[in-house]
Amino acid sequence: MHDNAIKLRVFRKGPGDKGPGRYDEFKVPLEEGMSVLDAVNYAVENLDSTISVRWNCKAAHCGSCAAEVNNYPRLMCKTRIEDLGPVVTVHPMGAFPLVKDLVTDLSGNFEIDGKIKEFRPKEGLGEPWIMHDIDVGRAQEFRKCIECFLCMDVCHVVRDHGTKYVGPRRVIKAAALDMHPMDTIDRSVSLTKDGGLGLCNVTKCCQEVCPEHISITDNAIIPEKERAADKLYDPVLMLVDKLKALGKGEEDGTKKNE
Amino acid sequence: MALKRMSKYLPSELLEYNPRLYAFVSLLAVSVIAFFVFPMKEFMGYIDPFYSPTILVLPFIGLYRLTCYAYRKDYNRHIFKHPVACPVAERMDSRSRKYTGERSAIFKVENLHRYFLYLSIILLPFFYYDVFVSLTYSGMLLLRLGSIILLVNAVLLTLYVLSCHSLRSLIGGRNDCYSCMKLGGFRKKVYDRQSWWNAHHEELAWLSLIFIIFVDLYLRGLAAGMPIDFAFMVMH
Repeated sequence: MHDNAIKLRVFRKGPGDKGPGRYDEFKVPLEEGMSVLDAVNYAVENLDSTISVRWNCKAAHCGSCAAEVNNYPRLMCKTRIEDLGPVVTVHPMGAFPLVKDLVTDLSGNFEIDGKIKEFRPKEGLGEPWIMHDIDVGRAQEFRKCIECFLCMDVCHVVRDHGTKYVGPRRVIKAAALDMHPMDTIDRSVSLTKDGGLGLCNVTKCCQEVCPEHISITDNAIIPEKERAADKLYDPVLMLVDKLKALGKGEEDGTKKNE
Repeated sequence: MALKRMSKYLPSELLEYNPRLYAFVSLLAVSVIAFFVFPMKEFMGYIDPFYSPTILVLPFIGLYRLTCYAYRKDYNRHIFKHPVACPVAERMDSRSRKYTGERSAIFKVENLHRYFLYLSIILLPFFYYDVFVSLTYSGMLLLRLGSIILLVNAVLLTLYVLSCHSLRSLIGGRNDCYSCMKLGGFRKKVYDRQSWWNAHHEELAWLSLIFIIFVDLYLRGLAAGMPIDFAFMVMH
């Protein structure tokens, strides 16, 4: 149990600082319902105003306050102090370049966006587009993403191995577009060949840390891997799809373009 | 030298010092040898599920489980330690180790999971047939504890196989426009129902594995003369 205060350890490193950085310790009085972000803000307001921390909504909607709390990627605003031990360590997301203290540079994540082929609707669609619930329901789950990038931070492929893997957030984006009923492109093959999808070994850490509880691996990464397997590794299905395309009979609901 | 040559073709995960991998492979080897040296195909109308319909299909069933997404998570974490856990401090030497993911030749086999799935689906009826045989082997309808255990085993294997991620993709995951196709509403319902089971695929994978080993040990116990079976009902 906590007493009336906790020990808050905050990572400190400035833009010009050399070395691995340091942890500053603060004694923060505990209040009922206090979150880690509240504790950091207490330290900023009362103990050391030079700590840099990024936050905005305090309601787990903006994703700004993503950090590693006791070595586990979490939103600081959504993590209650009473769920942690008497010592709380806050570290910036280690997968991204550090700006200062708890603030990291996330711009690289948006540059990866360019690697995902854009939405290309079917030709000759009358307006307004009419879409049905049974077709759009699956992709709606991915719209819950708040781009906190905790999934990218926890992904060992992105974080530890410096590969060309686009990361879970971008696979979600590709899956959302691939599953769109009006879209005409299949991104799974390019995701495998250029986006390094094969580097993901489905260990589901991204799914575990997602504050929006999106089933990233089960509903986006594995379906994309299966779609790629349809096109790259399954000769039977490749033949069936070829025959269907030749026959031009009933539309089978799968996409054909690359 | 030979190891250097091999490293060109084998992923680094298989070549580095890894006691967990050695323990797993040793246990697997001992089990497989035990199946052949001490076969227990049938006892009192009970057919051991490892020998149903023949032990020769065991390698393919093994490959189905080895390429299964549920076990991939487990062995990548706990045997290959890529990563050993999600908390970042637990990883220790991750950065210094080579990593190829599922792109090296040997791990590409995982993309053929669906073929092992097809074979597994074909084999499922045999387990129900074994239950039927256990009920009727004596010439009358005989309900015993062992038959119920065989039935639970068959149901668990069915749920595990039919909740597969590859099956999920094949029956509907690869379709983007259900309203464009014949019986779209029905197909979406089947997909949604299968997706519900798919969310429990990991639990079913482990439960069915533990239970099939339990059934094997139970039948061996019976054959050794242990008094662990009794009849509920006899119908002439």
